[in-house]
Amino acid sequence: MSKDYQLKASINQKLIEMGERERLKELLRAKLVESGWKDQLKAHCKDVVREKGLEHVTVEDLVTEVTPKGRALVPDNVKKELLQRIRAFLAQHTAL
Amino acid sequence: MKMEDMPLSGPDNTKLEALVNDIYSELVEDACLGLCFEVHRAVKQGYFFLDETDQESMKEFEIVDQPGVDIFGQVYNQWKNKECECPNCKRLIAASRFAPHLEKCLGMGRNSSRIANRRLASNNNTSKSESDQEDNDDLNDNDWSYGAEKRAKKRKSDKSQNSPRRSKTLKHKNGELGSSMSADPYKYNYNAGINYEMLGPDEVRSFLTTQCGVISEHTKKMCTRSQRCPQHTDEQRMAVRVFLLGPSAPVLPEADSVAGPESFDIPDGQALMSRLQWEDSPEISPSDSASSKASTNHSDSRRPKKKKRPPLGLNSGGGIGSLSGGGGSGGSQTNISLSTKKKKPKLTAPSISSIYDDLN
Repeated sequence: MSKDYQLKASINQKLIEMGERERLKELLRAKLVESGWKDQLKAHCKDVVREKGLEHVTVEDLVTEVTPKGRALVPDNVKKELLQRIRAFLAQHTAL
Repeated sequence: MKMEDMPLSGPDNTKLEALVNDIYSELVEDACLGLCFEVHRAVKQGYFFLDETDQESMKEFEIVDQPGVDIFGQVYNQWKNKECECPNCKRLIAASRFAPHLEKCLGMGRNSSRIANRRLASNNNTSKSESDQEDNDDLNDNDWSYGAEKRAKKRKSDKSQNSPRRSKTLKHKNGELGSSMSADPYKYNYNAGINYEMLGPDEVRSFLTTQCGVISEHTKKMCTRSQRCPQHTDEQRMAVRVFLLGPSAPVLPEADSVAGPESFDIPDGQALMSRLQWEDSPEISPSDSASSKASTNHSDSRRPKKKKRPPLGLNSGGGIGSLSGGGGSGGSQTNISLSTKKKKPKLTAPSISSIYDDLN
């Protein structure tokens, strides 16, 4: 367990160090905007905000409401591409 | 690091795959979180719903896709009937006519400056006359002169066209003139005689056989149309013939005195006409009398025209008199005319009857 955690932490650090994480993030954002995912989620956010009332909305509310939907709505091709990129990165760095 | 990575990645692929998924979900959650922050900030700043509009207004501003209209649903050649308000006179002018109008209205064309000034002047007149009457005396004069000019023009045009209306308007004048002049029949005849002396009796005769010959009140010229000219009545024609060719020195003044007043009655006129005929030609044909009767009847049906006849002769006579010149020369000419008058009947009496025979 600790080993996994250690491994994960080391990989994350590597991602950040190499700047790969930023690159992936930017890629994902572009892809999601392109695919309309952002607009869909925004429309969902509007519903949530209306439901809760303009004054009573918190970030936590939004996150709990939006995240599951956001995860589900990511297009398959975007997901595949991203996974591919991550795998390639890991393979490259474990190979070294 | 390398040492750590190597053993872990090597043995099981599933662990690596789980790692990849973790990273991916982290990234997605990051993106979601970013969006949540963004939305939350927008909500709290109050601009989240700014782009929101209700369905009605959305429908109102829907893009129209129909032939003949633009995307706003307007007809595109609408500018054709656009109207502009003239800044000078505050009237609405069609856009296509605006430039010419403005030119006139502002007085920048050739004639327009005069028009504009006049308009301005008249406007000033009306506005001023309410406030003070002394200052605009000259302006009023201006106006008057303009009006007079206009009237004069009108008269001129009236004169130029030989309209029956014109002769009617001048009727009263001539009537007055006639009443004052009929006191002196010789003078009247002298005046008329001089006129046609100039033509010469033979010329007059030949002229009257072919043309209408009625003497115009204004031009003092004889009508050159055919005998059936619709502008003059048969009676008028006859009067002219009697007047020019006949022995009418005592007759015409009498006719004038009868026809002059309003109370002109038929029997008198007929008697007069027949008398004229008899005096003119001793051997008158029945057709002649019939024609004379017809002419009198014809003229009776249009009474106002009848009144016109005597003034006609008078007016022309007066005009000629002034033409021939007054004073000493007038006196000498009177004698001439009188002498010719006396001669004339003998000369013309037979010829007149022949003329009427030809006519009929």
